[in-house]
Amino acid sequence: MKGYLQIIKGTIEEYATYRLSFILWRVRIVVQLLIVYFMWWAIFAEHQELFGYTQASILTYILLSAFVRPFVMGTRTQEVGELIRSGDLSNFLVRPVSFLKFCASRDIADKLLNVIFAVVEIVILFFLLRPPVFFQTDMVILLLAGIALIMGMIQFFYFSLILSYLGFWTPDVWAPRFLSFVLAEFFTGVLFPLDILPIPLFTLSQSLPFYYFVYFPLKVYLGKLSVMAITQGFIIGLVWLVALWMLASVVWNRGLRAYAAEGK
Amino acid sequence: MVITLSHLKKYYRVHEKEAGFMGSIRSLFVRKYQTVRAVDDLSFEIAEGELVGFIGPNGAGKTTTLKCLSGLLYPTSGFVSVLGFTPFERKNAYLKQIALVMGQKNQLWWDLPAQETFLLNKEIYEIENEKYKQTLHELVELLDVESLLKVQVRKLSLGERMKMELIAALIHSPKVLFLDEPTIGLDVVMQKKMRDFVRTYNELKKSTILLTSHYMEDVRQLARRVIIIDHGKILYDGKLDNLVKKFAKHKVLSIVLDEYVTPDKLKTVGELVEYNFPKAVIRVPRSASNVAAAQLLQKFPVDDLNIEEPDIEDIIRDVFTSPKK
Repeated sequence: MKGYLQIIKGTIEEYATYRLSFILWRVRIVVQLLIVYFMWWAIFAEHQELFGYTQASILTYILLSAFVRPFVMGTRTQEVGELIRSGDLSNFLVRPVSFLKFCASRDIADKLLNVIFAVVEIVILFFLLRPPVFFQTDMVILLLAGIALIMGMIQFFYFSLILSYLGFWTPDVWAPRFLSFVLAEFFTGVLFPLDILPIPLFTLSQSLPFYYFVYFPLKVYLGKLSVMAITQGFIIGLVWLVALWMLASVVWNRGLRAYAAEGK
Repeated sequence: MVITLSHLKKYYRVHEKEAGFMGSIRSLFVRKYQTVRAVDDLSFEIAEGELVGFIGPNGAGKTTTLKCLSGLLYPTSGFVSVLGFTPFERKNAYLKQIALVMGQKNQLWWDLPAQETFLLNKEIYEIENEKYKQTLHELVELLDVESLLKVQVRKLSLGERMKMELIAALIHSPKVLFLDEPTIGLDVVMQKKMRDFVRTYNELKKSTILLTSHYMEDVRQLARRVIIIDHGKILYDGKLDNLVKKFAKHKVLSIVLDEYVTPDKLKTVGELVEYNFPKAVIRVPRSASNVAAAQLLQKFPVDDLNIEEPDIEDIIRDVFTSPKK
């Protein structure tokens, strides 16, 4: 167990080593947020209400999704493909260490850092932009939102791992990853709330795992979902979680058999 | 026996890409596969505390064998047992007792000082504080790297990094150590230090060591027993001294002459390999070496004469290049 703490510590130290690249990365995230924010701000400049959202509610949604996103989608698992391709994975396989837990530890470190900085940034943005924010006070809903968030995190973790595990068979995992992330980005609801989509698309999105990464926890937090919708969301989300987990472990085990430990 | 290998086979299926752009396009649709027999029916046993040199040309199957032994690869067929474990099951109890050091791979945390990796390994291998401190101290002394512990790994030289790799790999005092090309890319001085270290470590800890290398010097200095493989098969397994007797068909006579003799005259004795008056080197068949020496002493103005075994590297080159029996 202490080994994994050491991994978390080391990962954070790594970030600290490259301060400039870390700062630039944060700048990128803030710019990304501002782009989406001002896009919606402009769209609503001449309308009171669109797609069932007021300007205030959509901007709240965008800011909150910017906060939730690093929680869920902050990851280091994109390195795994390269570890496999280069053969560096061998270093983990010959040590008595669980590779899955290693990845999870690195992700926890990543998320910790992400969240600390995201909080600071968003607080600053709140003061600058002064959007009307909705604070949830119902403890039950907060608890549910927290659980939904953790569910989304684990789902995303396995989703990202599976994509990287493709490295066992194809030397370049960048293309499938990129494609999947473009798709995921659209359906996670970080660009816009999913319920502004046409009904068929929205229904489709609910059956995809991406829906449960960001949109679902956010909606639970905002208290906009009926008990029925929350229950349904947790059931489908859980099914996806188990499915992704099982798929990840099958792909890993098959991958190891195909693993050639290349590059000496 | 610490290591038992019986009829180990590891075949890879690789796809052949035709040369050029059109070839790449074609291989998108139709792929031809080829089976590479990296390791083909390999059997040997290694006892506790042995230091065995594993040699062969590039692509002979040395590294593949080490990977099968350390649990990285699933063998295509055959039986592998190390310390009573089946390596590719990768049980923690097994992994805690072995180490694999690859000269061209590093496990060290690249952007952090090496001691961070040591600490990580301390936790991974669940080493107690006292034991950790003692082992680390020992290794740091042996390799003389006290001052480098706090330096970022990426700032270390290749030789320094290799030392740190060794420490990281040995911090849990493994019973079995697989060393794959530990001296590759190092300069002569560093190679010697590495060798001295491996020898001392083997004597001190009585750990079983299997070492591969391209450098004959490594093997000559370290291993009493060598296993030579090529094309995934064993060519020789035994003492280094016997290798010479078995494969060396010649002996080498080195002489120093008092007076100049024409090369043609020297050629009557045997094959003249080198002639740089007053020194000459003549190669003669093994069985005829005594006769040739006597002949030289009687008929030529010889000041000094030495009968030598040919260089191991030459013998091995002969073994590898000679046509298949």
